[in-house]
Amino acid sequence: MKTSKAFKALDIFYIVMMILPFAAGIVLKVLTSPASDDINITGALIYFTIHMPIQDLPITEAQVNSLLVVISVTFICLYLTHGLSVKAHLKRQVAAEWLIESASKLVNGSMGEYFNGFIPFISAILVLSALSSLSSLLGLYAPTSDINVVAGWAILVFILITYYRFKCGPLHYMKSFTEPIALMTPMNIISEIATPISMSFRHYGNILSGSVISVLIAAALQGLSSKILGWLPGFLGQFPFLRIGLPAILSLYFDVFSGVLQAYIFAMLTMSYVSSAFAADEYQMRRLRKEQKKLQKQVLANK
Amino acid sequence: MQTLDVISVNIWQIVISLLNLLLMFLILKHFLFKPVKKMMDKRREELENQYKAAEDAESIAQKDRELWEIKLAHADAEADEIRSQAVTDAKYRSGKIIAEAKDKAGSIMRQAEVNAELEMQKAQAGIKDEIVSVSTALTEKMLGREINTDDHRGLIESFIGDLGDDYD
Repeated sequence: MKTSKAFKALDIFYIVMMILPFAAGIVLKVLTSPASDDINITGALIYFTIHMPIQDLPITEAQVNSLLVVISVTFICLYLTHGLSVKAHLKRQVAAEWLIESASKLVNGSMGEYFNGFIPFISAILVLSALSSLSSLLGLYAPTSDINVVAGWAILVFILITYYRFKCGPLHYMKSFTEPIALMTPMNIISEIATPISMSFRHYGNILSGSVISVLIAAALQGLSSKILGWLPGFLGQFPFLRIGLPAILSLYFDVFSGVLQAYIFAMLTMSYVSSAFAADEYQMRRLRKEQKKLQKQVLANK
Repeated sequence: MQTLDVISVNIWQIVISLLNLLLMFLILKHFLFKPVKKMMDKRREELENQYKAAEDAESIAQKDRELWEIKLAHADAEADEIRSQAVTDAKYRSGKIIAEAKDKAGSIMRQAEVNAELEMQKAQAGIKDEIVSVSTALTEKMLGREINTDDHRGLIESFIGDLGDDYD
């Protein structure tokens, strides 16, 4: 299959646009981050602040980086769906189909056929969370180590949970808190409110703690290096040789594994919370009852 | 440049992040899921159409086969009938021919018999005449005179006639 020049040019444009956001992020980081040898565990850098009602909005690294991830993923999508055909002669189409199939399998497996509309949403959580966490591999500030970013996602999930609880009517919503016994009501309310908090803190804490540990270990290794190898002359004495090796291996766990795992956990929790919030049987009964009432009304009206 | 505290909650940042996730969802839905799903559905449709076409062709072929099998079976029966017809025909004809031949042979034989009888009678009559004339001539010579041929002839004929009758 020969591709035209325009097709190739567009392909190259997409690939460049996939990488460009991260490259821009790295450049921005290099330009703005203060050079210091001290260990400082802080939040994201504030680029500038917008005055808003209630609270000022600081535009930080986390905000910018998460937007960069969104832009990059947009172009990945455009690249994957570029040149789709029925015969699937491009490898990227096979990859795209595989991604969609596996996402569908994951969502259908844990939520059921009713929640088929959730497949893109769960994929969005997975992609955004995983790529945000993995962006720390490029030296960027991982957006997921900012509580606000993850809290936004968790609140969106909480809204969805409440929406599906409300689907069977406000009465059923109220009643669902008194189960299994009325005594449990305060507990149930607390656990309901705790859901988004626990979700956001779990995700944010895991990623942040990973980077904190990485920084601490790196600093410790640097100190150890200067203690043990400080007698070497000149530059060799200052170079932290012990920092070679171990931080890379730890990063493999704290950045790659932990980042992907937290994305998966966040998605799984979203699926299980939303699907368990929705009482499918009750909803069916309600609909049946409503239809029956409608029919009765019609019969009465006809009489 | 300033940095945030490690934990600093900001309402607007939360809202922006929430909208980011929504945006991501919409992007994935419109730029990845929709086109790929469409293509997959199209492919499935095409495949189903092909299967249907193949099944149609198969059913047509099956029908044709059944038709030809029936026709073949009929042909066998027809051939049998034709053969038996031919055999009976041939038998009938051969019988007829033989009978005709027999008839003809019989008539020829009869004709021959009749002819032979006639010849014999003729021959007998000829011989009788000859004997009569010879014996008349003989007696004339012997007696030296002419005799009444007619009288003698009558005599001899009756005599020979008796003889002939004896021999018969």
